[in-house]
Amino acid sequence: MSNIRYANMAHWKAIPYRKIKNFREFYYEDNTNSAYYSSWDHILKYQSALGFDGIEIAPWDLADILPLFGSPENFTQFAKDRGVSVIGMFHGAHASHAQDHFEEAVRSGREAVDTIVKFGGTYMNTCPTQNYYGTGPLSREEVQQCAKVMNEIGRYATDNGVKIGLHNEFFCAINLPNHRELIELTDPKLVHYCIDAAQIAIMGEDLLKFYSDYHERISTFHLKDTASAKQPDSVRYAQDPEITDDGTRWFWEPGQGELDLKGLYRLLKQHDFKGWMSIEYDGSPDLLASMALTRYYLDNELRPIYD
Amino acid sequence: MNRNAIAISLDLINRHYQEPNRNRYESRYFWEELYKLISASGFSGIEIPYEPVWQFGGRSGVPFNRYCVNTKYGNAANYRSLLSVSGINHVTGITFDPNMFMRNDNLNFYFGATGHFANEALAHAADLDADYFAISPSPYYGRIAQYHPDIENMKETFTARTIELLGGLASKASELGVTLVVRNEYWSLFGGERVLPLVDALPDNAKLDLDTASLFVAGGSAANFLETQIDRIGCVHLTDTNFVDTQQVWKTPNPEFPSDYATQVFRDPGTGSVDLV
Repeated sequence: MSNIRYANMAHWKAIPYRKIKNFREFYYEDNTNSAYYSSWDHILKYQSALGFDGIEIAPWDLADILPLFGSPENFTQFAKDRGVSVIGMFHGAHASHAQDHFEEAVRSGREAVDTIVKFGGTYMNTCPTQNYYGTGPLSREEVQQCAKVMNEIGRYATDNGVKIGLHNEFFCAINLPNHRELIELTDPKLVHYCIDAAQIAIMGEDLLKFYSDYHERISTFHLKDTASAKQPDSVRYAQDPEITDDGTRWFWEPGQGELDLKGLYRLLKQHDFKGWMSIEYDGSPDLLASMALTRYYLDNELRPIYD
Repeated sequence: MNRNAIAISLDLINRHYQEPNRNRYESRYFWEELYKLISASGFSGIEIPYEPVWQFGGRSGVPFNRYCVNTKYGNAANYRSLLSVSGINHVTGITFDPNMFMRNDNLNFYFGATGHFANEALAHAADLDADYFAISPSPYYGRIAQYHPDIENMKETFTARTIELLGGLASKASELGVTLVVRNEYWSLFGGERVLPLVDALPDNAKLDLDTASLFVAGGSAANFLETQIDRIGCVHLTDTNFVDTQQVWKTPNPEFPSDYATQVFRDPGTGSVDLV
């Protein structure tokens, strides 16, 4: 068994079919590749064939997945039949810095944990609050309030067999000045950390130093590359920084950016990390191509360092 | 023919389903290039779907709600100026469907959220000087059934609350100088000609939307519908299809994608079976 098992964070937007029963007929509807990207049956088989035996779903998928499959359990079984486990779900803890939002933030976090349990997942990567623009800078009390919410959700998650991992975006109100402050304010027994390699590098953290400092807190990863580390405040605090007006990409497949991912793997070996790692392809124009490129890089460049 | 009254709906771009390079639809550059192409094709008007999902997703490059337009252009007037420079001088209509708010078994949530965002969309339609605000009166039948398996028993309640919601919107639309039109998609609780008693119960200023393909799938004739309802048709969606619903696909969770036999339900006008001539 490898030290690390690999999953994909689902960025497929909506998938309209469970399974296309008459694939050839479908193809001849328009003679394009749309049929190849239209069913969960195919998507999960691509994952499985490329060695990604886990999937992390997104809350924005639920409105489509649930009517299509009828229940979380049905989706999980369907994925399992194709060799893929649901490992968890992303969660945004909106407005958790606001004292008057405490009950709502905790309730929403607990509901997300309940959903993950129904899907059979054990991870909930959690963005601690919303964007910096319109919210930041946070006061010390507001950062403490975020930590209080995370601890509360973390307690409930732990009791239900789920690990929550803080997951910071480069444009969040928890940002470079208070990123580590939040981590320090949370209970290490209840609140873990999901390193999104590109997000924290764009924010201004040094990936290798951050992992070295917090390796005991790391529950999982969102592995992706970037060529845009250490963006200035003017970018990170802007109104709409993630999707750029001209199509500029922040995020790239592992190996296509500038992060020292080989250095990260040497540290993973040093600290004996074992567990799941999700690859995230937000911004990719072709998720299947990105998945295949990533698999090649993993097998030929990264995994030999540790596995 | 008044060519200014014929618009291209931005709904022609697939924003919701995955395909290679779909991600470009989230950036502003894609849409600003598209406006010029629409204009170059001989259309000076567009219709815009109002989709709150882009507000929650923070994808402000997609100009499909007031939040996105304000984020990228400051206000609706600036957006209209940008359209005008691109050769688009008219937003004929705004469309709205409440599917995303049917996500649990709480009807108060559904009607509350739908009412809030439909009012927001209607005000945005007025800001854009649109002629009409076209609303789908229910989510997919199959999506309602996911959370309300007793949908047939609750139809009366659902209809009464829908009438209340649409009645309020119709009054507000009148004040704003916009015509409220009710869509009759085949997948709706009020699909095809089932929309008629619903609109009968609304104020006279609420009009019908004639969607030719939806009517065809629901078993109706666009020509007959036009003839009998001409006085209260507020807008026409000129759509085409070859799809004949023999297996009650309209009641399924994803009715635009029939699960048993793959087909493109909607086709370009003139490439399907609807008698458009």
